[in-house]
Amino acid sequence: MNSVFFANLVLNGLIEGMVIALPALALTLVMGISKFPNVAVGDTMTVGAYVAFGLQAAGVSWFALATLGAIAACMVLSLATYQWVFRKLSKAPMVVNLLASVGLAFMMRSALLLWVDSQPKTYAFPLVRAWNFHGVRLLPTDLWIVLTAGAALLVVFALFRYTNVGRCLRAIADNPELARASAIRSKRLTWFLWCLFGALSALGGVLLAAKSVLLPEFGWEFVIPAFAAVILGGIGSPVGAVAGAVLLGVAQEVSVAFVGPSYKITVAFLVMIVVLVIRPAGLLGLLEKAR
Amino acid sequence: MSAYLIAICIIGLIYALLAIGLNIEYGETGLINFGHVAYFAIGAYASALLSLRGVPVSLSILLAGLLAAVAAIPIGFAALRLKDDYFAIVTLGFAEAVRITIQQEEWLTHGVQGIAAIPGLAAGASGNSVFLAILLLVVLCAMGSVYLIQHSAFGRVLRAIRDNEVAVVALGKRTAGFKVKVLMFGSFFGGVAGAFYSHFISFISPEQFVALVTFYVWMSIILGGVGTMRGSLVGSLVLVLLLEGSRFIGDFLPGVSDLQVAHLRLGVIGFILVMFSLYRPQGLFGKGGRA
Amino acid sequence: MTIDRRSLLKLGAASAAGLALPFNVFAQSGSELLIGGLVPITGAGAPYGSGMLKAMEIAVQEVNDAGGAAGRKLKLISEDAQTQPQAAVLAAKKLIEINGVQAILGTWASGVSLAVVPLTDAADLIEMNVSGAPALSTVDKKDLVWRFQGTNDRFGRAFAKIAEKRGYKRPATMAFNNASGRGNTDGFIRAWEEAGHGKVVANIVYEPNRPSYRSELQTVLAQDPDVIVMGSYLPDTTIILREWFQSGHENAWIIPAWAANPDLVKALGNEATNGIIAVDTVSNVDAASYKDLSGRYQKATGQALSDNVYAAMAYDMVISLALAAHKAGGKAASREISAQMREVSNPPGEKVYSFAQGKAAMDAGRQIDYEGASSRLNFDEYGDSNPDFGVYVVKDGKFDRVDTISLD
Repeated sequence: MNSVFFANLVLNGLIEGMVIALPALALTLVMGISKFPNVAVGDTMTVGAYVAFGLQAAGVSWFALATLGAIAACMVLSLATYQWVFRKLSKAPMVVNLLASVGLAFMMRSALLLWVDSQPKTYAFPLVRAWNFHGVRLLPTDLWIVLTAGAALLVVFALFRYTNVGRCLRAIADNPELARASAIRSKRLTWFLWCLFGALSALGGVLLAAKSVLLPEFGWEFVIPAFAAVILGGIGSPVGAVAGAVLLGVAQEVSVAFVGPSYKITVAFLVMIVVLVIRPAGLLGLLEKAR
Repeated sequence: MSAYLIAICIIGLIYALLAIGLNIEYGETGLINFGHVAYFAIGAYASALLSLRGVPVSLSILLAGLLAAVAAIPIGFAALRLKDDYFAIVTLGFAEAVRITIQQEEWLTHGVQGIAAIPGLAAGASGNSVFLAILLLVVLCAMGSVYLIQHSAFGRVLRAIRDNEVAVVALGKRTAGFKVKVLMFGSFFGGVAGAFYSHFISFISPEQFVALVTFYVWMSIILGGVGTMRGSLVGSLVLVLLLEGSRFIGDFLPGVSDLQVAHLRLGVIGFILVMFSLYRPQGLFGKGGRA
Repeated sequence: MTIDRRSLLKLGAASAAGLALPFNVFAQSGSELLIGGLVPITGAGAPYGSGMLKAMEIAVQEVNDAGGAAGRKLKLISEDAQTQPQAAVLAAKKLIEINGVQAILGTWASGVSLAVVPLTDAADLIEMNVSGAPALSTVDKKDLVWRFQGTNDRFGRAFAKIAEKRGYKRPATMAFNNASGRGNTDGFIRAWEEAGHGKVVANIVYEPNRPSYRSELQTVLAQDPDVIVMGSYLPDTTIILREWFQSGHENAWIIPAWAANPDLVKALGNEATNGIIAVDTVSNVDAASYKDLSGRYQKATGQALSDNVYAAMAYDMVISLALAAHKAGGKAASREISAQMREVSNPPGEKVYSFAQGKAAMDAGRQIDYEGASSRLNFDEYGDSNPDFGVYVVKDGKFDRVDTISLD
């Protein structure tokens, strides 16, 4: 096992981490403001991936357009879940919101299954060989994936730091009562947040499906890794979610060399526990006040 | 017909036992345990392995429960440092680690091949009314013991920890010991439930102990009403009825194809969960406003 | 707005009353043979379950069109096993207790079959499965369990023979981490070592549902194998092969046909799939039953029969059961039908390829040997069909049959 081998493992982890970063970001945004883990993120990802597939199969020639279609569809979907369910549950305890999100996830999956069959699907991309940098292999597709994910993340960060919308959202996250007292218009902002949630989930779903295969239950499998990344990074911290996702991805893939593919998932959790022992609120989380 | 109903009741009671354990942890003490299935798995495997080596089944069930309780101790210590969602993800990671360990350590557990031909209770049959009666007795004892706890000084401290831990600490009580004890108690029931499960189903494999089981238990306590013992019992039966009853949709709707029935089931279950969270969040037996 | 307890109780009472509806809707009528289809419509087996169900429906139609088995029409009642043993157990109980089926057909995952067989055995009912776990052969004490797929171990041995014949010296294995995948590669490793070829150069077991297997593949390729033997399924095979092609490494592949099928070629294209060796259980050269079924299946599902090896097996289950039921007579119970299975499927006998053909021959007093669409269906003392294996090489999207491997 030489350094090239490890470099490849690190690269694998980095790529996987960047893609998980998108749903992790979506999760952390909602958790920061609405205070519950929205497990429907997984099935929203699946819906987005299938919409893109459907659009491509229907003849949309630019895959970027198909992806935009997926993003639009999931924005509407997430907004609908907010309007119909989560808006009414904003004062309810966390577990009730969690229960509702599980119910919504099942409904999304059920609706999808009534439309599509269970055969695995792939996007119609031509297969190309990887670029080889002295043994370290990088796929053009993976590079695209990382760049797209990175661009999306930068856009979100810029939004939060430099725009009014972002500042207001951070204010609501930090102190809802004070925010309301300062007459920050929360309805539009919450709509914006949920649209963002849908968009990030859809993009994450499309990118993950581009790397692997599309199956009706594949999004659900990523809820736990995304959740782990959120916790590791600190709930409510966008940078933390991304850092957490990448850290977990890299730790996981590198550990394959030592513990094998099956225990690598355990290693990821171990890393998380170690970090939490040192910093109980996550890498970048603020120490929680009592909920 | 009756054998089918007995089987449903047995599964319902097994979930009830799990729910009672979780209820003590969350309903009484406010600990968000997303890893309950770990103790279910430990109990199932322990009892299966012991009984296959000649230990009488009743004894192996008891030992399985105790082993599960001991396994809760490390999680108890994690609870001390971590709050809420952070604790939740650690418990989740622990459950996944347990499942993967069971899967990988074939010398002990047969790994993915699973353990078959697990003996039933001494009465000879694994699924008949005797089994049901014994299980019912155990569940009632569990409820009784929880009732005693709830009405004791110990119980008062638990509820105080749930409602305002800071105050409890300020009053000089060391919450550490209480949290660990509660987790051990809840895990004991989880382990016993697992043991009964393995003797009922006679074949266990790691794939039966995924995180989804924990989700189901959470659904049970929320549907029944968090914090109430009746709620745990009824909520579990409702959950099982929901999961099983939806199977009959196909028999009542002749126009729907069998394929679609399977997919519709998921949607129906999801819809009911959403309805519950919107219109009866406190569950069947919870008091209004306290979920 | 929340619902108060009164209304909730009323709602509950109404539902309970509704459930108490006449369950005799499901009682068995004397002139019908009820069979239960317990297939994976959701879960890991989902890519295969719906095709299996459709194939069973086609078979039931064929039997009923030919007048039924000994005067009894077949009726298929199906449930989703969800690829989960505990869900399957409840589904099986429902089929047995409430619907009163005489046989449970189509269990796919080894875990599901292992959990369901104790139930069917206790109720003296036939069970037919396509699972690979060797344990199934011995769990059946009453000779009621019929396996329509080669055991994983057998597949592994066939793989070893193929690798040997083609002169490979440095095999590596990759297995999906479940009983079936592991069974295939463990069988291969055992046979390879027993034949004196030494150890395999790498042996990796990977977890289900991951988006990428680059690291696992990398570990295998680092040992420079000349052939990689897989115990895998279609989704993960797609991911792994795609990543392999992109890595540029040269080696051969031996993959079971449920994973290496036309769908795989469609997903990856010709360049990545040329030369892959796919291994399948094979029916008699005179594949009349297969061709005919292929047409009907395509019409019913819009998919090719070759996309789902289990579909042909599911079809065979119903046909052979119907033939055995016809032989056993119109009043026969499940055990008696089971006793006729070898009679109608094993040699000696006139080879027949459809239900109508078999029925006519039996009515004329001749002994038959049903050659199935999936394999020749000669059941051994465990009730396992011991199929021959067809070796196919993918060339420009087509599967060319190049060899047949017989293990007996």
